[in-house]
Amino acid sequence: MSENLRVLIIDDEVAIRNIIAMNLKSQGFAVAEAATGKEGLSLATSFHPNLVILDLGLPDLDGYQILKELRSWTTIPIIILTVSDDENVKVRLLDAGADDYLTKPFGPSELLARVRVGLRHHGHAEATPIFESGDLKVDLNKKTVTVLDVPIKLTKTEYEVMARLVRDHGKVVSQTTLLKQIWGAIAEQETHYLRIYIKQLRKKIEKIPAQPKHILTEPGVGYRLV
Amino acid sequence: MKRSSALDPDELLKVITDDEKAQVSAKLRVFLGMSAGVGKTFSMLKAAQQKKSEGFDIVVGIVETHGRSETAALLDGLTLIPRRKVKYRGTEQEEMDLDAIIARNPDLVIVDELAHSNIPGSRHQKRYQDVLELLDHGIDVYTALNVQHIDSRKDSVESITGIRIRETVPDSILERAGQVELVDIAPVELLKRLHEGKVYLGDKAVTAADGFFQEDKLTALREIALRMTAERVDQDLQRFSAKKDEQPWQTNERLLVAVSHSPYSERIIRATRRLAYNLEAPWIAVHIDTGIHLSDEDQAQLIKNLNLARELRAEIITTTDTNLPEALKRICRQKNVTQVIVGRPTRRWFRDLLEGGSLLETLVKENLEVDVHVIRQGQEDQGRPSLSNELSHYRTNTGWEKYWYTLWFLIAMALVGAALEPLVGYRAVGFVFLIGILIVGLFGSIGAVLFAATLSALTWNVGFIPPRFTFVIDQPDDVILCISYFVVALITGFLTNRIRFHERIIRDREERTNVLYQVLQDISNSKDKQEFIEKIKSRVGQTLEADCGVILKSKDGGLLFDSEKSHSMRLDEKEQAVALWSFQNQKNAGWSTDTLGESRSLYLPLRGVNESVGIFVFRPLKKIRKLGPEQEALLFSITSQLGVSIERHFLSRRLVEAQRLKDSEMLHQTLLNSISHELRTPLTAILGSTAALESDIIRDPYVKDIAANLSEAGDRLNRVIENLLDMSRLNSGVLELKLEWHDVSDLIGVVLKKVSKSTSRHNIQVDVSSDVGLVRIDFRLFEHAISNLVLNATQYAPEGGRILVRAYLEESRVKIAVEDEGPGIPEDSVPKIFEKFYRVPGAPPGGTGLGLSIVKGIVSLHRGNIVFEPKLPRGAKFIIDLPIEEQPDVPREDEI
Repeated sequence: MSENLRVLIIDDEVAIRNIIAMNLKSQGFAVAEAATGKEGLSLATSFHPNLVILDLGLPDLDGYQILKELRSWTTIPIIILTVSDDENVKVRLLDAGADDYLTKPFGPSELLARVRVGLRHHGHAEATPIFESGDLKVDLNKKTVTVLDVPIKLTKTEYEVMARLVRDHGKVVSQTTLLKQIWGAIAEQETHYLRIYIKQLRKKIEKIPAQPKHILTEPGVGYRLV
Repeated sequence: MKRSSALDPDELLKVITDDEKAQVSAKLRVFLGMSAGVGKTFSMLKAAQQKKSEGFDIVVGIVETHGRSETAALLDGLTLIPRRKVKYRGTEQEEMDLDAIIARNPDLVIVDELAHSNIPGSRHQKRYQDVLELLDHGIDVYTALNVQHIDSRKDSVESITGIRIRETVPDSILERAGQVELVDIAPVELLKRLHEGKVYLGDKAVTAADGFFQEDKLTALREIALRMTAERVDQDLQRFSAKKDEQPWQTNERLLVAVSHSPYSERIIRATRRLAYNLEAPWIAVHIDTGIHLSDEDQAQLIKNLNLARELRAEIITTTDTNLPEALKRICRQKNVTQVIVGRPTRRWFRDLLEGGSLLETLVKENLEVDVHVIRQGQEDQGRPSLSNELSHYRTNTGWEKYWYTLWFLIAMALVGAALEPLVGYRAVGFVFLIGILIVGLFGSIGAVLFAATLSALTWNVGFIPPRFTFVIDQPDDVILCISYFVVALITGFLTNRIRFHERIIRDREERTNVLYQVLQDISNSKDKQEFIEKIKSRVGQTLEADCGVILKSKDGGLLFDSEKSHSMRLDEKEQAVALWSFQNQKNAGWSTDTLGESRSLYLPLRGVNESVGIFVFRPLKKIRKLGPEQEALLFSITSQLGVSIERHFLSRRLVEAQRLKDSEMLHQTLLNSISHELRTPLTAILGSTAALESDIIRDPYVKDIAANLSEAGDRLNRVIENLLDMSRLNSGVLELKLEWHDVSDLIGVVLKKVSKSTSRHNIQVDVSSDVGLVRIDFRLFEHAISNLVLNATQYAPEGGRILVRAYLEESRVKIAVEDEGPGIPEDSVPKIFEKFYRVPGAPPGGTGLGLSIVKGIVSLHRGNIVFEPKLPRGAKFIIDLPIEEQPDVPREDEI
């Protein structure tokens, strides 16, 4: 399925580029590599990538600048590679238009999952109102949530949180986005709303709420539905 | 009209500050009686016993039982602070030991006889000042007081009993009291007790007692005491209703009293204070220096009057102006005064004539928007001041000397006139005298001008105008000439005198402004603090004739006595104690004050905007009792300027330090970031490669085995990096917690997912009790802490063994426990397991010994604890506990 999909890797570390390229090529992606920011930007126009993997620590340009520059003319998915433990940096990147991020060190399975999700959301896979993952099934048309085909009763807000995660499933949804879209802009700082609702949701849809399989927490950043 | 329900902000503030004051400061309870013998001490001790039974720590500072057994019985069980023995004039006397009480720091201290005057040489002159200091130290005080000792009631009591009262306490202390309790007894009953000998009056009071203890007098005293208490209750009620009602109590009244050097002023001040107290209005005491010279006695009385007003919590304004009513009008306008209180004029006609109508007259006549109260005189000051007394207003600062000079000068002028008269005629001689009066006006006082004008008119009349040597004047035009000469002489004399006075005022003011300006210049032109402190010290010294010193605050909140370099200002131990007292209590102390007045120097606390920065030492060179009000004002404004400047220097130094700290933190952070980047990037490459080797592309089991080892080592290396980063963050001391509400089960879920690779060979069980709500934590740090605990457990627990992660509530704490069934920890290692780099002997290889100390560091940052407990029958158990906080609100919603 990945035959004609192109991925651009911008990273100054040759070892990292090799690993990523190797993994992507094994899945049938076409890969271009850039070692500097400038090279990356010029390849982005000539190579017509369907997705960009961008390292933050480049020698010539700040990754953040490249992100902004790319976002000024394209909407293709951009996945950021970062070593930062600082959640604020991640949130800032998401706000600036990055689709997702990977924290080093990461495994190949994680990388491929992110790439697939990124491409799917950019229209390279069919869009459906039904989300199915293991025992969980959410139908946005009928507004139903079932676990093992048993309907789950959700409150209005619980459903809204769920629906929002379904719409971007596989992708991280930042907590500020969730708070703003569900409770309004004034609730942007009230992270405890989310904690309480996520806790309730997990109780209803997860087999072991303390070891969730569907609603995953991205510490300090947001949540991801898988 | 309905008022809005919102309180006026000022009112609100008042209520808040009142409440705060009541909360923060210690409480004073006054047991008030109409006279001795009503049982104040008895009631006070009874109340104390009650308090003691409630479990408070109570000591007796000083109580006189006068051998009465019922009172003495009440002292049972109360701790007595031994009295301080003081040698005074050869005899040994006892006083309350203030320092011992402060050192003992009880909840409550009992101090009898509030109006008592301390023996000279004590720290304070009066016992009520001791009590105020106790209150400042946060110790509650019970005390007893007779109504005759209250400053504002002294006059009334004196006029009722005819006994002069020497010991008084200011009314402000009653305001400080949270509770005033009236101890009342019927006069008949009191007289009965007196006759039975149950009332102790002191040794010398027996004779006076006969006049004092009569039923009618006691009834009058009782009325005063009752009225006093009633006023107080009324005020409490008002304050209460101001707090509760939607209509806050409001007063726009502001009172002003003019204070002079007359002893009569005291009475007017008290009357004003009473009025202000009842109106709950602020009041101002104004003294206007009109340039008349005051004798030492008058000066002392004036200072006494102003101090009285200050004690009674008036705002004090002293200003200089030749025109008294004009100055009063100006202050009334500036301060929005609504009522002016003056005394009935007592001076004689000639002063009205000379100084232009009395103050009262001018105030009433002037179109001033204020009410004017005239206070009646008491019996003793009903009489006018004596003539000589009033005349003495015209004395100069050198006594009558100037009049002598004036007389001799006039005689000289008369001789000149006599010599000139044959040449120019008698009329021109008048002008010679006029010149003389102008000259007198330039140098002499008003009195001298008056004297010279009168005398020269007479001399001219008698000696020159024909017929000579009689008071008779022949020609009518000479009569007019003589009279108009007198008037002209008087007016020109006064005018020159007034100009001169104005000049003096302006010069004084200019000098003061100049000194202040120079002080500012000194500060701004100095390179450092030390330089301007030296400059200001010498400037104050020159201006006010004194040795000056500055003692700065030390870092631990004491005083740096070494910071004063000049040898003459080195303080001996006794002086240091005064300085320290002044600094700790933030009050002036030493020379010319009520506190430790024996000291040679005056100590003024140097205050900045937010904190005190040290002490200014002022040691007068000359032997004077006190600084004049203007000099005092100058000294105060210089020291306050100095305090602010020193504080600013302190602050700027602190700012530099803070900046340096911030820079180093930045550097630290940059270093950490780059290390984590530099280490983790190759690690990603290694782990990525090993993952590829582990994947299905490679079929060689031998390679796969090596890859698995590599990947495990890589993971471990990653954890070591994480731990090192955490450790250095925790150690840097600048770590900022990002506290947010988090779900404990979420936290555990994230941890278990993160460490899933390392725990794959163990049986992990999670148990989160449903009553565990949200906790306020820094998620990332806590994630590391719990990860470390779980990874620690995997190191020791046997393969396939159970690891239990639990969260539950216990003893109103949130507990998170990680339990394993490994070999546990040997007993002698337990105390050391949270130490840095400590590793339990025989621990599996691969750890750094940092894990647990990081956990402890993180948990204590969250005001939590971590303990180790052995798990029975075998295993280890680490329990973190955190305080439970009130859960946050969430918007309600309905189920669908």
